[in-house]
Amino acid sequence: MFARLATTAIATLRSGSSSKWPVPTTIVSRQYAAQPKRFYKKTSVLYADGGYEVTLDHRKLKTPKGAIFSVKSEPLAIAVATEFDNQREHIERSRMHLSAICFTAIDNPNNFTKIDMVNYLLNYIATDTVLFQYDNEKDLQELQQNEWDPVIAWFNQRYETNLKKTMNITPPKVTDEDKMKIAKHFQSHSLETLHGFIFAVDTLKSIVLACAVIDQQITVEKAVALARLEEEYQVKFWGRVEWSHDLSQQELQARLAAAVLYVHMNCSESFVKEKLLV
Amino acid sequence: MSATTVLRSLLHELRQAAPNGCIKDSLAARYILAQFKKFKTTDQQLCKARNEAVFLGQTYLTYLTSTRNYNELHKEYHGRGERSVKETADLVGFKLPTDPK
Repeated sequence: MFARLATTAIATLRSGSSSKWPVPTTIVSRQYAAQPKRFYKKTSVLYADGGYEVTLDHRKLKTPKGAIFSVKSEPLAIAVATEFDNQREHIERSRMHLSAICFTAIDNPNNFTKIDMVNYLLNYIATDTVLFQYDNEKDLQELQQNEWDPVIAWFNQRYETNLKKTMNITPPKVTDEDKMKIAKHFQSHSLETLHGFIFAVDTLKSIVLACAVIDQQITVEKAVALARLEEEYQVKFWGRVEWSHDLSQQELQARLAAAVLYVHMNCSESFVKEKLLV
Repeated sequence: MSATTVLRSLLHELRQAAPNGCIKDSLAARYILAQFKKFKTTDQQLCKARNEAVFLGQTYLTYLTSTRNYNELHKEYHGRGERSVKETADLVGFKLPTDPK
C-alpha cells in the first residue's frame, strides 16, 4: 500500500512539475537582533580622574548601564580599546569577553556584595570538576589520576586545605575549616577581582583549576584541557566534531584567558623605584 | 615558549586581528613592545611569581588566538538560513528547468 501511495505521489509531482511547480520566492532565515554597526574609526585610551578611559573617536566608551568606562589598569584599558578597534563592520558584543568582564565589574548588574560572591564561589567546591573521578573505566581513571591529582595536591598545599576526590556520585565532604580557608583567600581580593574569579570558575566549573591557572601553575590551554578531560577522552573513540568540540574549546580558552588577564591586571600594581643619585 | 616567540606571535595575532592588517600605530603593539623591552634583562619581576611577564603575554596570546579561531569556526558553520532552490539543486547535482542543459 505504501508503495502505491509513493508512486501516486511521484506521479502527481511529475504532472505538476511541468510549469506550475511552486518556486518559493522568499528564503526563510532566522531573525537575530541586529548588531550595532561600528560607528567609530579610531579607538584610544586617555587618563582622567585616576582611571583609564577608552575613547571611540571623540566619544567616551560607556557601559551598558550608562556609566563611563574607567579602569585602574592601563594595559586593561589598552586591551579593551584594541578589542573595540578589532571589530569589523559590526560590534560583536558576545565575543568580546574582556570588555564583557570589565562592564560586568563596573556595572555589577546583579548588585553582588563581596559576601555574595564568596558564597557563590564556595558553593562550587562541593561539585568541583576535578574532585569527581570515575573508576569503572581503567584508562580514563588513569588519565584522571595522572592529570587531576597533581592539581588537587597543589591546591591542598597552597591553601592548606584537605580536599579529597570522590569516586562515585556522592559529593566529596568539605569541612567548614577548609571552606573558611578558601573564603579567606577570596575575601582578600577586591570586588572587581572577584568578578574575574567568578568568570574563570564559571568557565572551568572548577575552583581548583581556576586557582591553579590564576596562580600561574598551569597555562590557560592546559586548564581548559583539564576541565574538558573526559570529553577529550571520549572524543578519541567517537570522533571529533569541529563545530561542537573545537568551537567550545576555543570559546572556553578565550573566556578563561580574558578572566585571567582581568584578575592579573587588577591585582598587579607595578611601580619603579629609581636609584638615588648621590 | 620563549619570550621572543611570545612577542612575535603576539604581534602576528594583533596584525591579523586589526581590520586593516596594519599595527603601525596600534596602542597594544606599542605597549607590548615597551613591556618586552622593559623586562628584556629579566622577566622575573621582583617580589612576584617567576616569569610573570611572559605568562601574561602568553595568556593574551591565547586570548587573541582563540578568539580568531572561534570567529573562523563560527563563520564556517553558523547557519545562514534555508538554502535556496538553486543551492539545493547544486548540492545534489540537479539542474533547474531554467538552467541551460
